[in-house]
Amino acid sequence: MIRTQLKTYHCPDDLKEALTLLQQGGKTARVIGGGIDLALHLPPDVTALIDLSRLPLSSIEASSDGITIGATATMTEVLEHPAIASYLNGVIVTTLLQVASPLLRNLATIGGTLVSTHPWSDVIPLFLALGAEVTLVGEMSERIPLSDLYDSRERLKGKILTVVHLPKPAAGTAAAFRQFSRTGFDVALLNCACFVRVENGRCIETRIIVGGTPRLASSLPKAEESLIGAALTEEAIERTARIAQESSSVGDDRRASAGYRRELVYVGVKRSLSEIKDQLEEAKR
Amino acid sequence: MKITLTVNEIRHEIEIDPGETLLDLLRRTGYKSVKKGCGSGDCGACAVLLDGRAVNSCLVFAAKADGSTIITAEGLEKDGDLHPIQEAFLEEGAVQCGYCTPGMEIATLDLLTHNPNPSEEEIKEGLSGNLCRCTGYVKQIEAVKAAAKKMNKGAS
Repeated sequence: MIRTQLKTYHCPDDLKEALTLLQQGGKTARVIGGGIDLALHLPPDVTALIDLSRLPLSSIEASSDGITIGATATMTEVLEHPAIASYLNGVIVTTLLQVASPLLRNLATIGGTLVSTHPWSDVIPLFLALGAEVTLVGEMSERIPLSDLYDSRERLKGKILTVVHLPKPAAGTAAAFRQFSRTGFDVALLNCACFVRVENGRCIETRIIVGGTPRLASSLPKAEESLIGAALTEEAIERTARIAQESSSVGDDRRASAGYRRELVYVGVKRSLSEIKDQLEEAKR
Repeated sequence: MKITLTVNEIRHEIEIDPGETLLDLLRRTGYKSVKKGCGSGDCGACAVLLDGRAVNSCLVFAAKADGSTIITAEGLEKDGDLHPIQEAFLEEGAVQCGYCTPGMEIATLDLLTHNPNPSEEEIKEGLSGNLCRCTGYVKQIEAVKAAAKKMNKGAS
């Protein structure tokens, strides 16, 4: 099928050119990485695509600050990178292996995934939990927490996401991800990503994110706060999972009911935190 | 717009529509091994190697392939000899109606190129984007194991 509404396909060689094309195109132009979303569903007002794949934006580099991932690195490139394999016990690898199929991961880019704002995305809750930051380039360049990107749709207007930054994990940190779906290939009915930092036996930093609620992934501040200052015991995990369940706002859609999702929040948070507890105990040995 | 791409070692300079997919372009250029199944990235029947990695060609804009190197299932055999992956699929009975076979073989080529000795779990993961409605996947998994053996033998 030919999308006849599409009149122009740009492959700019530098970022300035890409930004100019985006600003000139306004609502009729869209930036793409792999282009999967727009190949599937092209909004009726879009007549031009700006493909970023020629820009030098696909490198993945580890430094003393953490890892930087270029926006056009594919999921496969992320998955196969040695620095990613060793990051927080390989949590990114185990998560990405649950995302779609190798054929799609060879095409999908990390930047495209993060700006797609698909509510059922597995990558968005994980990267929120990991405390990722993103660089947006427009007239000016800014580095913001990934969570700020989702505050408003205006945030990305006229701008291009160029780099994803993962912080260097401090001692005593661990993260885990859980996804519930009908089959391995289906998108999540609900997913959950958690991050905990323990110092002197007490949790001092926590992030508990649920996605596919069926809205876009977001944190559960009450559950996060309830763990601060507590030891990560089975009782604390149980209590936090209950608080997460009570404080999460879940809804119905064609994939699952709100009641089922509420149960999944409890199970997802409990399993993620239990895995974090096991990882931290294992690291001590 | 005009693009150039190399398909199975043959260079094409070809006029395309900006809204055309790589799948449609390849089929109208004569590469009929590339099948249109779902058209939405679920079935893998349209898989081709795009610069060395297997992708769903139904979700790739043809314009994206400008300057790239494509391998389709037609490009697997060399001088009339079947590729070890094709031989293994035949010998293990991994082909029934055949519709998914080209995509399965391309996904297998990507898998074995990057992981020459995959475990059974890794084979299942490697073929997880390719649906087959005839078999129960057992024969394909056996075929990938057999292909890995043949390819490793050939390489040593």
